[in-house]
Parts: sequence; C-alpha cells; structure tokens
Amino acid sequence: MSAKTRVPTAINGGPYGQAWSAKADCLQSITGLILGVFLLFHMHFEASILLGKETFFHMVQFLEGSMFSSTDHGFPIVTKIISVIMLVIVAIHAATALRRFPTQLGQWRAMRGFMSSIKHKDTQLWFWQMITGFLLFFLVSAHLATMILNPEIGPHLSAERVYHDNAWLLYVVFLPIVLFHGIVGLYRVILKWGVSSNRPLIRTIAHVLIVYLLCLGTLSLVTYINIGMELVLPVQPFIPN
Amino acid sequence: MSRQISFNIFRYDPQDGQDKPKMERYQLTETPGMTVFIALNQLREQQDPSLQFDFVCRAGICGSCAMVINGFPTLACRTLTANYPDGEITLMPLPGFELIGDLSVNTGKFMRELAERLKLWLHPKADDHDMHRLENPMAPEEAARIYELERCVECGVCVSACATKQMRETFVGAVGMMKIARFEMDSRDARTADDFYHVIGNQDGVFGCMTLLGCQDNCPKDLPHMQQIAYLRRKMAATIL
Repeated sequence: MSAKTRVPTAINGGPYGQAWSAKADCLQSITGLILGVFLLFHMHFEASILLGKETFFHMVQFLEGSMFSSTDHGFPIVTKIISVIMLVIVAIHAATALRRFPTQLGQWRAMRGFMSSIKHKDTQLWFWQMITGFLLFFLVSAHLATMILNPEIGPHLSAERVYHDNAWLLYVVFLPIVLFHGIVGLYRVILKWGVSSNRPLIRTIAHVLIVYLLCLGTLSLVTYINIGMELVLPVQPFIPN
Repeated sequence: MSRQISFNIFRYDPQDGQDKPKMERYQLTETPGMTVFIALNQLREQQDPSLQFDFVCRAGICGSCAMVINGFPTLACRTLTANYPDGEITLMPLPGFELIGDLSVNTGKFMRELAERLKLWLHPKADDHDMHRLENPMAPEEAARIYELERCVECGVCVSACATKQMRETFVGAVGMMKIARFEMDSRDARTADDFYHVIGNQDGVFGCMTLLGCQDNCPKDLPHMQQIAYLRRKMAATIL
C-alpha cells in the first residue's frame, strides 16, 4: 500500500471546490495590485526631492491634505492613517501569499530539485519573488512602523531620518527588494488574470520599470543623504521662501 | 563532415533492487536531420540494447517520447541534435511521474487517474442520450475553439515543467485544466460553471496555479495554457461573486 493515502473529499472522490480558495486568490491579487500601484506612485512622490526642497515640501503638504487646512500645512496624521491602512493591506497580502510558500521540507526539496534539473526563467523569477516576499515581511514592517510612530515628512525631517537616524541602511536593502518583488508581482498578476496575453510586451515594460525606478530611488536616496549631511543638529523643519 | 555528439543519459531500473541511479555517456556520429529520438534508437540498436525509452509515432503526435533534454522538457522526436552546437546532450526522464526505467515514465497511468478524478469526458445533456438521434450542428467557430484545445497529446511535459505540480502532488496541472476548459466551452456538455468549480475551484485546481508558466513555455504543441488558465480562473472566481 502506498505510504500516501489521499482521503476522498467529495462525493465523487475528487477535490472539493472551496469558496475560500477563490477568495484568497482574489484577495492576494487585489492587495498585490494595490501595493504595486502604490509603489509606483510612492517612488515618484518621494523622488520629487530631485526637483528641489521646495517642490518636495509642497508635494508633502498637498498629499497630507493642505487644501483642508487654514495654515497651508498638511496633517501628518494622514501619513499615519495611510501607513496603518497599508500595513493592513500588506498583512492580508502576506497571509494569502503564504499559501504559495513551500511550507514543508519535502516541498522545498522538490522545488530546489526541480530548479536544478529544469531550466525555466519564470520559475526562477517566482523563486526570487518568494525570497524577496519573505524578506519584505520584515522590511515593510520596519518601514511602516517608522512612518506610524514618526509620521513627519519634509525635506529636512526625512533627510534627518535617512542620514542621522541611519534609515539609509534600511532603504539600501529595501529599495531593490521591494522593486523586484512589486514589479514582478504586477507582471504576474496581469498574466494570471489574462488582463493581457502580450507577455513579451509586459515583460519588457517590467524590465524597464525596474531599472528606471531603481535609478530614480537611488538618486532620491543619495539626495536625502546629501541634504542630511548638510544639516546641523538639532534639525529644524524646512521653511519655504 | 559529420561530427561526433555525446549523450549523457540517466540510467536506472527501479525493478532491479541492486541498481543505483547513474549517468552514462555514449557517443555517436551525427547524421543530417538527426533527432534525439533517431539517435536514441541508434544507440539502442548499436551500443546498448538495455536502454529504455518510449516512442510510437516519431512525428510529435503520440506524446510518448517526452523527456528532459538539456534542462528543457520536450519531445525527443521533434528535437534536432543540430540544435546543440557543442554536441553535448543530457537526457533525463520527465520528473513527476512513476519511473518505468531510464527515460521511460508512466504518463498513461497519471493521465488515466487524472481523467477519472476530473471526469474528463463529455457529459451529455438530459435530452441528448439517444445515440441514434442526429447530433445538433455545432457552429464552426465553436468547433475550431474546441479543436484548438483537443490538440493536447498528453505528453506530460506541462506536468514536468510545473514547479507547483512538483511541490503539490494533488495539483491537477495544466493538462487537467486544459481538458476542463475544453469541456467547459463545449455546448453539448451538460456541466455548468458551478459543476466545474466543484472540481477545480480549489488549491488543487485553478486557484493553486502560481502562474509560473512552465506549461506555456514548454508545451510542444504550443497550446494556449496561459490564456486558458486565466479564462478558467476568471470564470471560477465569478461563481463566488
């Protein structure tokens, strides 16, 4: 007798359809899509520092709802609220994505054995997406915890965090990992649901986006470090002319 | 001038308790238009009559000679030795199937079990059980769509090229979903989307697929696995909305 016995789960002996399977798959894709699109916007918003401190300052005030304020200053609590919402979305995404992880040693061995005998780029891509996804559990949590506990953003305050509080150490690791995971995730979700079947085009766009955003993010980070190096402690918030 | 080509072939007879898995090296002179299948026959006739591998049609129709050639699962009869400029060819049996011996695997047993489990045959409508009655005419477009999916030769390449299938034994794989999609679009079949959901609307079916696309990239018949699985996923997800 076989060591593995498959217990029949339905009247016909086949597997059951489970509403939760569909829900989990939809939730994983929807939360992934939200996070991926958020990443695209986030990268551009924070890169506005490349256009000068003034531009970044006004961008932050606008995104924090300065139009509803009598002082022309936004509300940092907006950043806090968005960070909490993003943390919830990340948690849902992580929980649903965990279904995909090879959770048993046997599955891990099967995966590694497969990758050593069969050459397939998209499988290797998925493997690295899984590894980066695992690392993002910690990196995203650290990033969002900072934004929830200390939501003040500004040309000087952000630069202080990056340089004087050594957050650059986190971002140097975070940036390539989140970009790879996010853009490859968007590529996969488009193909997964058949939004487009033009795979070569989607793949090319994904490659270009990764390189472009990596350059954009690195330049922004260097700019924050440069600003941070020029700041004198204790740091005063930036005041526009 | 003809060149010498080398074959590294996986050898193991699971029926022989003393035998251990090993790689054996063979050399032969390449001839014009030589396929891996022709080379294997030549090796068996001239060098090693104990070499085990499967074949029937020699023309990419029966799907029997599927094996892993230099890391890519494909049909030996459709693979020219001239495709390998360095003249080094490594042959492994398809992973994920019961090994009969050397390069021969029991895809038939797998396909039969899959067909019984997923009920991969036409379920006629209640008023369509009279075999003497003329069948209703089918629109040529529908017939063409069904024919496109009927081209599957059950070679097992999609199963071997799928890391999800290697990690999760009960996953139905692209061949199962392709056949379900074929009956789902057949107007003569009585089953509804709900019925199919009960068979593949779970982690072992369409919601277990991780869109690694090994099936799409390796299918020797170029079947549209990616589009079909996406179509089924949308269809099955719609049943819970």
